[in-house]
Amino acid sequence: MEYAIEISGLTKKFGNFVAVDNLDLRVKVGEIFGFLGPNGAGKTTTIRMMCGLMRQTKGSIKIYGYSIPEERNELIKITGYMAQRFSLYEDLSVYENMEFFGKLYGLNGKNLENRILELLEFLDLKDVRRRLAGRLSGGMKQRLALGVALIHRPKLLVLDEPTAGVDPPIRRAFWEYLRGLNKEGTTILVTTHYMDEAENCDRIGLMNRGRLIAEGTPKELKRRVFGGDIVEVVLHGYVQEGTLEGVANLKELAYRDGDTVLRVVLKDASRELPALLRRIDGMGLKIISAEPINVTLEEVFIELVTGRIEKVAL
Amino acid sequence: MRLMAVVIKELIQLKRDPRSLVMIAMIPLIVMLLFGVGYGGGMGKISVAVVNLDKESLSWTVLDSIMKTPSVYVKAYANSIEEGRELVKNGIVSAAVVIPEGFTTELMRGASTQVLVIVDESITTISSTIRNAMLAVTYKFQQELVRSVQGSSVELIYSSVYGPKVTNLEAFTPLVIGIVLQLVPTSLISIAICKEKERGTFEQLIMSPISRFDIIFGKLLAFFIATIADMLITLMVAVWIFDVSMRGPLIDAMIISTLFLLGSLGLGMLISVLSKNQLQANQAAIFIFIPALLFSGALMPIEMLSPSARILANLTPMYYFVSAFRDIMIKGFGLWQITWQMFALLVYMALMMVSAPLVLRLRVD
Ligand SMILES: Nc1ncnc2c1ncn2[C@@H]1O[C@H](COP(=O)(O)OP(=O)(O)O)[C@@H](O)[C@H]1O
Ligand SMILES: [Mg+2]
Repeated sequence: MEYAIEISGLTKKFGNFVAVDNLDLRVKVGEIFGFLGPNGAGKTTTIRMMCGLMRQTKGSIKIYGYSIPEERNELIKITGYMAQRFSLYEDLSVYENMEFFGKLYGLNGKNLENRILELLEFLDLKDVRRRLAGRLSGGMKQRLALGVALIHRPKLLVLDEPTAGVDPPIRRAFWEYLRGLNKEGTTILVTTHYMDEAENCDRIGLMNRGRLIAEGTPKELKRRVFGGDIVEVVLHGYVQEGTLEGVANLKELAYRDGDTVLRVVLKDASRELPALLRRIDGMGLKIISAEPINVTLEEVFIELVTGRIEKVAL
Repeated sequence: MRLMAVVIKELIQLKRDPRSLVMIAMIPLIVMLLFGVGYGGGMGKISVAVVNLDKESLSWTVLDSIMKTPSVYVKAYANSIEEGRELVKNGIVSAAVVIPEGFTTELMRGASTQVLVIVDESITTISSTIRNAMLAVTYKFQQELVRSVQGSSVELIYSSVYGPKVTNLEAFTPLVIGIVLQLVPTSLISIAICKEKERGTFEQLIMSPISRFDIIFGKLLAFFIATIADMLITLMVAVWIFDVSMRGPLIDAMIISTLFLLGSLGLGMLISVLSKNQLQANQAAIFIFIPALLFSGALMPIEMLSPSARILANLTPMYYFVSAFRDIMIKGFGLWQITWQMFALLVYMALMMVSAPLVLRLRVD
């Protein structure tokens, strides 16, 4: 398996404060990897160390096989970077910003011009290309920053909270761009504190207080945290909790409008649900409805940090 | 080429920043005109040096009344007649007043004594002002003296020297140009790097394949292109508006000014690399300017300073610039006659240019 990012034992201390604590992480080539966690979790610090913008206290970092910080110059050639804070020149126009960074990457003349036009087209910024970056709306600034990150056709995109502070429709549109790029083969590492966005990722890592507390595909994570899929079954009438002992792995039981609402955990709902329903039916209970619940990653995260589960197998 | 990309970017940004433009164009004019109004048109005080060989009570009384004379001011103190004469000859002061040894004792005995006044005769209005002022001083002194000691008297004797015919305005021109060429470029460029750090643009910049040298020298070159205007403005104002006579070659004055300007830019860049934010950088630029002014040798001749202050002056680039510019402007020297100052300025410039890229780290912590 080829890894775009391989990090092990990564640690960063600011004085006595441990911002990143012995972090291990692997991202495969071609993946969209989502780095999730609340503010202050240590996502930005991790990314900065990965990009050689900050020295690690301990640990090894390899990006496409290049050791960081020693081989930072190689990393820069293949990486597109979008910082958490808008960090382009507000007193330069959209075009001038792209032109400047393009030149730094050694592009010039017609090549540079064509590449910029292509990106302006792709990111829908053609009409504002003469506008100063400082006068752009939040969504446009974000697209411009993506454009600059893409100017040299990087293999790896590192995006630190690219969607922070913009409206949900714009966030969704931004993810469209990311998915498009990913289809063309770009590996993407993206951080966010919007848990709902993480559903767009191939795999995610949950970070809290400097530690990676869980890692996997969104589906895997939910299953691991709750021990499987969750199905909501509604039964007619009042059913005692004890009645279902041994029949189903019950997570919750509640009453609603005279009916009984069960939340049942199944290892794999698609395979086990029919058998469960047959068992319940066999007990003479009347099933009104049964459907898998879509657990949000938000719930997964809360479940994890409230400490009910210390650490999920990595 | 990456360096040129930085140069172009910086020039576009400068062009769009009204504050910088005002600073580049207006500060030199304002500083020059303030000095022009203050010291031009024969107004202002005439500078004298005092050589006090007596150092007894009555000599201080004379000195005191010279200081109280409105038309002159004591710019320097010398230790010997020769030193005093040199100061006048070099146009550093317009006259030197020598109070002889035994001045107080003689007068107390009721004898008469002489005060030597070495006057620069090259500008007649100035020499006659000095004569009148000294007459007034001695007359007043005698009036008081006669009350206590009978028969004593002070006689004035004059010694004429032909100085380089330096007007007051001309005497200050090297300093004014030095002030402009240090203050404007240093404070302008001092925010160049820390502004990028403060605004976060540094983080994006160093994620591109740019080197420390591209960043530093790209910015230096851009600011050099912008502030070369200051060098031209100050020289033009001096020659055409102040009407100073440039006795040496103008091109040599330009070369020495350019050298000093580059040093100032390098200094500002070093400040920028070391500062945490723009405020700190601005303060550092001003703070460094104060000793440069004090030890420039223009407000007070360096020969008159204490030995330790003299060492400091010898480490002040402004001192070398002012003295080099003076030599070209007043003595009519060419570059080959001021090789020592040239050398000092070259070393200064080279040091500044080299240290900024060495100190800069391409990291955000
Ligand atoms: N330069 C720094 N000096 C001291 N503490 C820092 C520094 N940078 C970040 N931190 C601290 O490290 C923690 C992690 O920050 P960060 O990596 O920015 O988190 P996130 O990006 O997940 O919001 C925070 O508590 C933050 O205050
Ligand atoms: Mg962050």
